[in-house]
Amino acid sequence: MKIETFLSSIGNEFADEAVEELLHRCRSRVDRVLKRIRRPEAAVGVVKSPLGDLLVAMSARGIVLNHYLHDAGDLAATIGKLRLVFDPVEDQRAVKGVGEEVRRYLAGDAKALRQSVDLTLVAHSFQKKVLHKLQAVPRGAVVSYRGLGAAVGAADSARAVGNALHDNPVPIYVPCHRVISSDGRIGGYGGGAARKLQLLRSEGFELDKSAARIPDSVVWGHRGTKVYCRSNCRTTARGDRVQILFFADPREAEQAGMRPCKICRPA
Amino acid sequence: MENDGKSAIFEKTREPFTFDRLRGFTECMPHEKLHLPLLFEQIMQRHEREIMRYLLRVSGNRDDAADLSQETWLRAYRAYPRLQPESDVRPWLYAIAINLCRNRARDGARRARVIVGDNEGNTVGRHHRFLDENEGYAAVHMREMIADLPTKQREALHLRYFAGLDYAEIAGAMGGSEESARANVSQAMKKLKAMW
Repeated sequence: MKIETFLSSIGNEFADEAVEELLHRCRSRVDRVLKRIRRPEAAVGVVKSPLGDLLVAMSARGIVLNHYLHDAGDLAATIGKLRLVFDPVEDQRAVKGVGEEVRRYLAGDAKALRQSVDLTLVAHSFQKKVLHKLQAVPRGAVVSYRGLGAAVGAADSARAVGNALHDNPVPIYVPCHRVISSDGRIGGYGGGAARKLQLLRSEGFELDKSAARIPDSVVWGHRGTKVYCRSNCRTTARGDRVQILFFADPREAEQAGMRPCKICRPA
Repeated sequence: MENDGKSAIFEKTREPFTFDRLRGFTECMPHEKLHLPLLFEQIMQRHEREIMRYLLRVSGNRDDAADLSQETWLRAYRAYPRLQPESDVRPWLYAIAINLCRNRARDGARRARVIVGDNEGNTVGRHHRFLDENEGYAAVHMREMIADLPTKQREALHLRYFAGLDYAEIAGAMGGSEESARANVSQAMKKLKAMW
C-alpha cells in the first residue's frame, strides 16, 4: 500500500456515530461555559437620515453606536471595535426607529430622541464622565471644551475632552455637536463641520452654511448663578468663563431654569 | 463532513437578501452591503465535525479529543473578535487546535513521568475496527514514527493528511510561507518512507 493512502486512512476508523456522540458531549460542555462568558448581542443596521446614512447598533440597554457612514474602510474598523464588546447581529428592523427619530429631531421636534443611550463602548472612565455630563447640555445651548472639562472637574483638560468627544460612539444622541471652541469658533466634528452646522441650526442657532463662529446674538448663561446675560454685558467680562453655557436665544435659557441679568436685560 | 473550502466569515447573517436593503445605501457607499461576520454558532456548526475528526486522528484518543475540541471552541470564541473579517476561518481554527495539541503534548510528557499506565481500551489500534490485525499494528507503528518527527514537520503532516488542508491553508495555520509548509511535509514524508 502506498504510504500516502495509508496515512490518510489512519484514525479514519472512528465511526460517524462515535464522532456524533463525542460532538454532542463537547457541545453541551461548550454551551455551559459560553453561557457565562458570552458577549451580549447587538442589533446592527443602516438607517437613512437627513445627515446621511448612519450605522446603528442597539443593545438591550439602548443605542450603543451611531456612526456616520462616509467611507467603507471606516465601516470595517467601526464594526471591529463593536465586535470586541458585542456579538453583532444584522437586524434592520430593530434600528429603523433611530432614522425616524433623527429625521424628526432635525425637523425641529425637540423630544424626538427617545432611545436610551448605552455607553458600553466607551472604554475610559474619564471619557464616560465627559459624555455623561455632555448629555446634560440642553438643546439650544452650546458649551466650550474647556467648560465641559470644568464640569467634570478638569478645566485644564480641554484636549482630553476633545479626544473623548472624538471617540464618542453615539453622536447626535450624545450631543457632541454642542461643544465649541472657547473663542466662539464652531470647531470640528467627527461627521464633518457641515453636519455640525446643520445640527446646531436645527436647534435654533442662526448659522449660515459658511459660518465659522457662533453668532453674537447668543446669550451667556452662568451655570453657577443661573443668570443669563448679553455677550457684551459688563458682568461677563469678569465672570468665570468656564461656567458659561451659550444659548441660542433667551427663551432657551429660561427653559434651562435661568433668569435674565438685571444689568443688561437680555430678555 | 460540512466542508465548503474557502469560507470567509463575512457573509450574510439572518436576514434574507432584498433589494430594499441595498437601496438603503446612498452614493457614498454604492455597492457595499452591510457584511457582518457570521455568528459564532454558525461557524461552530459548520466546522465542529471537521475539527473533532482532526483532533481524534491526531490524539487517537476519544477523551483527549473531546477535551481538546471543547478547549478549541472556547478559545476560538474569545479570540473571534480579533479575527480579521476578510481572513479565512479554517486555518485560524486549526491554528488554535494545533497550539492546544502542542501544549497538551508538553503537559502530557510532564505528567507521564508521574503517572504510569494508560487508560485501557481508549487508544486507537487496540479495539477499533480494522481490516485485519496487521493493519492495526501498522497504524500504531506509524503513529510512533510520526510522534518522533520534529514538531513542525509533524504538525504540517497532520494538517496535510489528517485535516486535508492545502499548502496555503497550512501556511495560514502554522504561520510562515506556503513553500515552508510544502518543505515541512515533504521532509516528513521522506523520513517516514525511509523508516517504513
